[in-house]
Amino acid sequence: MPPANAITLSQKSIFILPTREGLMFAVLVVFMVLAGINYQNSLVYALAFLLASLFMVSILHTYRNLAGLTLQAGPVKAAFAGEDAEFIVILSRLGERTHEALLLGWDKQMLQGADLLEEEEDRVKLYVPTRQRGVMNPGRLLIQTYYPVGLFRSWSWVDLDMSTLVYPYPVAAGPVPGAPSSAEEGEMLQREGAEDFYGLRQYHSSDPPRHVAWKSYARTEELLTKQYASYADRRVWLDWELLTGMEAEARLSRLCYWVLQLAATTNEYGLRLPGLEIAPGRGEAHRDEVLKALAIFEVGR
Amino acid sequence: MNDFQIPRNSLAWMLVAQAGVIAPHVWSLRLPVWIVLLCVGCGIWRVMVYQGRWTYPGRWVRVLFVIGGVVGIGFGYGTFLGVDPWVGLVITAFVLKLLEMHSKRDAYVVIILGYFVALTEFLYFQAIPYAAYVLLVVTCLTAALIGLNQTRSHTRPVKTFKLAASLLLQSVPLMVVLFVLFPRLAPLWTVPIQSQTARTGVTDRMSPGNIAELTQSDDLAFRATFEGPVPPQSELYWRGLVLSYFEDGTWSQVDPRSYGPVAARQKRPAWVDRIERLGNQVRYSIILEPTNQNWLFSLTVPEPVDMDGVYLVRDYRLVADPEVRSRLRYEVTSDLDYAIDRRMPSRLYYDNTMLPVKGNPKARELAAQMRAAAGSHRDYVNAVLRMFNEQEFSYTLKPPRLGDDTVDDFLLGTRSGFCEHYAGSFTFLMRAVGIPARVVVGYQGGEYNRIGDYVAVYQFDAHAWSEVWLEGEGWVRVDPTSAVAPERIQSGLESAVSSGEFLGDLTLSWLKYRQTLWITELRLQLAAISHYWDSWVVGYSPEVQVDLLTRLLGNVDSKTIGMITLGLFFGLLGIIGIILLRKKPIAALSEVDKEFLRFSQLLAKEGLGRRMGEGPIDYGRRLAAARPDLAAVANRVSETYVTLNYAEDVPSDAMALKQAVRAFRLRAMTTR
Repeated sequence: MPPANAITLSQKSIFILPTREGLMFAVLVVFMVLAGINYQNSLVYALAFLLASLFMVSILHTYRNLAGLTLQAGPVKAAFAGEDAEFIVILSRLGERTHEALLLGWDKQMLQGADLLEEEEDRVKLYVPTRQRGVMNPGRLLIQTYYPVGLFRSWSWVDLDMSTLVYPYPVAAGPVPGAPSSAEEGEMLQREGAEDFYGLRQYHSSDPPRHVAWKSYARTEELLTKQYASYADRRVWLDWELLTGMEAEARLSRLCYWVLQLAATTNEYGLRLPGLEIAPGRGEAHRDEVLKALAIFEVGR
Repeated sequence: MNDFQIPRNSLAWMLVAQAGVIAPHVWSLRLPVWIVLLCVGCGIWRVMVYQGRWTYPGRWVRVLFVIGGVVGIGFGYGTFLGVDPWVGLVITAFVLKLLEMHSKRDAYVVIILGYFVALTEFLYFQAIPYAAYVLLVVTCLTAALIGLNQTRSHTRPVKTFKLAASLLLQSVPLMVVLFVLFPRLAPLWTVPIQSQTARTGVTDRMSPGNIAELTQSDDLAFRATFEGPVPPQSELYWRGLVLSYFEDGTWSQVDPRSYGPVAARQKRPAWVDRIERLGNQVRYSIILEPTNQNWLFSLTVPEPVDMDGVYLVRDYRLVADPEVRSRLRYEVTSDLDYAIDRRMPSRLYYDNTMLPVKGNPKARELAAQMRAAAGSHRDYVNAVLRMFNEQEFSYTLKPPRLGDDTVDDFLLGTRSGFCEHYAGSFTFLMRAVGIPARVVVGYQGGEYNRIGDYVAVYQFDAHAWSEVWLEGEGWVRVDPTSAVAPERIQSGLESAVSSGEFLGDLTLSWLKYRQTLWITELRLQLAAISHYWDSWVVGYSPEVQVDLLTRLLGNVDSKTIGMITLGLFFGLLGIIGIILLRKKPIAALSEVDKEFLRFSQLLAKEGLGRRMGEGPIDYGRRLAAARPDLAAVANRVSETYVTLNYAEDVPSDAMALKQAVRAFRLRAMTTR
């Protein structure tokens, strides 16, 4: 199947074959027919034929349980190498047909069950273990069902073209080099905003009027200007070269650790990798950009 | 794999089905007590395991159980051959497997064994109630199968059962195709059938009292369907056995094969062609209930039957070889007017005039006196019949006991007896004066079921009569009972015996209530249904199949039939598939939706219909923009609709929307 973000299962993509239990059942039917022949017993024949027909009809039902089902790629979450990446696949149905006991996943041994009975759609969370950093595409998704009688398995491989980033596994590497230690910095860093009140000084004519401490003027008749400080100078550079002597993956793991440490503070941090530099910044988007750079750095070399 | 927990839903149906498949075997006392106890024990154990109170038995315990089971069956039944030990074995395996359900596959094995146990019931009984019962059990088993494949969150047992029933219902048309068209083959190897050799019906030994015993049974003996009108009751003498040998008060058979060749399919010895068929030919088919005996029943004098294993023997009866172990259907042509053995072979003459040297002296004396008084053999026969008729002879189902000289005691002592007394003593009286005579045992009469257009013959219709050989006439049927109790022959046993005697030992028999009209009507209806079932379903034999297919399709070869079978089967499967896979429309519209639809259709005439995919709120806004004068009422309609449809806690009541629409229309009319 060509990759797509939403796929509706139909005849072209659904396969169906008897299971081992199905073959056992077929053998049972053969034995029953033999009993019917040898005992010349019409009702034994009838029961054998009824079960043979059930066998055939169950093909239709097992097929029907997948047919018309739409799979859609949902949001994905990045993971750190070694963790499980979470993929969400959205199942939805057409019309009134229900789907029951669906199993889906990338690993045959670890399939996730899902039903679409009353609900129109179901968001199935699938976890895929990761081992290496980089971009992970778990490949074609297996969706299968044994419902209703387990005599047949119908399945389909769908490529929803889902992928996620796998960040390096963070390895503790001590305090972030060049960052103010949390003890020294203390409360100041916990204040909000980039510009914080710092102190008062003599008024200069160039100062903006909104910075004049009017309350103080009212009290002392002295014009003072409120001084604000910003911490622009508290920038941390996470540099590849800080970790000379280590292997690339080890360096990336430690850089990743520092990124996570810094992301929990208000410090701005930048990243320098060979051939790549990300200017210091803050916030989730910045963190994700930096982590992404770590994830895909020289992947596949 | 030890942590496999069978879904509750599946286990429930499995246990119900297990009890269901085993119950009839227990009920009919076919299973030894220890297997019954084993079943109960394993069931309880399994439930305990499910509840977490007990654990599965250990491996050695299980091995012990299996060895014990096999040894027990070997000793208990004395053999492993035959249906009974086989059923015992399957049931033992089935219940023991319950204690070894560690994986899903084990559960499948239990269910598949269950289907097989269900089948064994048909080896014993094939009536409609049994078939319905087995179908019910099979549905439970199928529900257990479905339960195994459902996710844990959706396991409502009743729903699962309904699904199983609908799956089986969808399979029925396909089953019918296979049932009718799948070639019925001859047995591939011989199998021991039913060890229970309960021999029912008339036997090959007749002594005073044993036919009277038979009349206490209301079991069906056979059913006969005539082509054309049914002959009168008095003509329905169903011959089964000819008893020519008399000793110690008991009449028994002389091996009919000792009289010469038998007539069979493709084999027509000379004596068959010497039968003088004088007309009044009838054609009929008989469905004989299993007797475990060789003899078949027919009206004199039958043609050889065109069927393997059925022979016409020298005393003009039909026999089956091997014996009739399951219901047998055969077709016969008989000539009711005939002359047989006008020239009597000496061997037959000898056998049919022979009497023990001693015994019954008074009867011999009586015979000699009466023969001397009569002018001819024919007159003598009539004189004896007249004696039965005119003297103090009575017809009863409960005759007094007789001494060693049974004929003497009866004729000159008790003078009350049943058909075997009259037939036996009549034949004795004939032989005593050298007239060849023999006793014939079979059934007389039967009940005509006009709904099913057949004659049902029950065990209580069992009868014995005589045949005498008269010079120039051959064998002539004489029924001495008709001289004593003519109503027995005209209208059956019930009217011939005193009230209370008829089926006196059976407290609950449908047939006791022949006088009550509606019961009779209902009984005939049910009997007719079961007759159709027996002739078309249970009795759908290779012969019936060939007959039906020839009638339906003409003479076609097996290849064509195969093609037709496959075509029909997959055609039907395709139709079922189309029905299953057709796109079902979105659920029917609610009242609120319908009202809103009417509203938008109304406005569509003004060019303001709702567009495809347009939400109700957007639609309301567009209306308001198009007709500012109606903005307020239009918005009220769309808001009411949204509130009714999507807000929680608001019952979906169309009234509020109807009012809003009415307000809109009113406003629209006034502003136009």
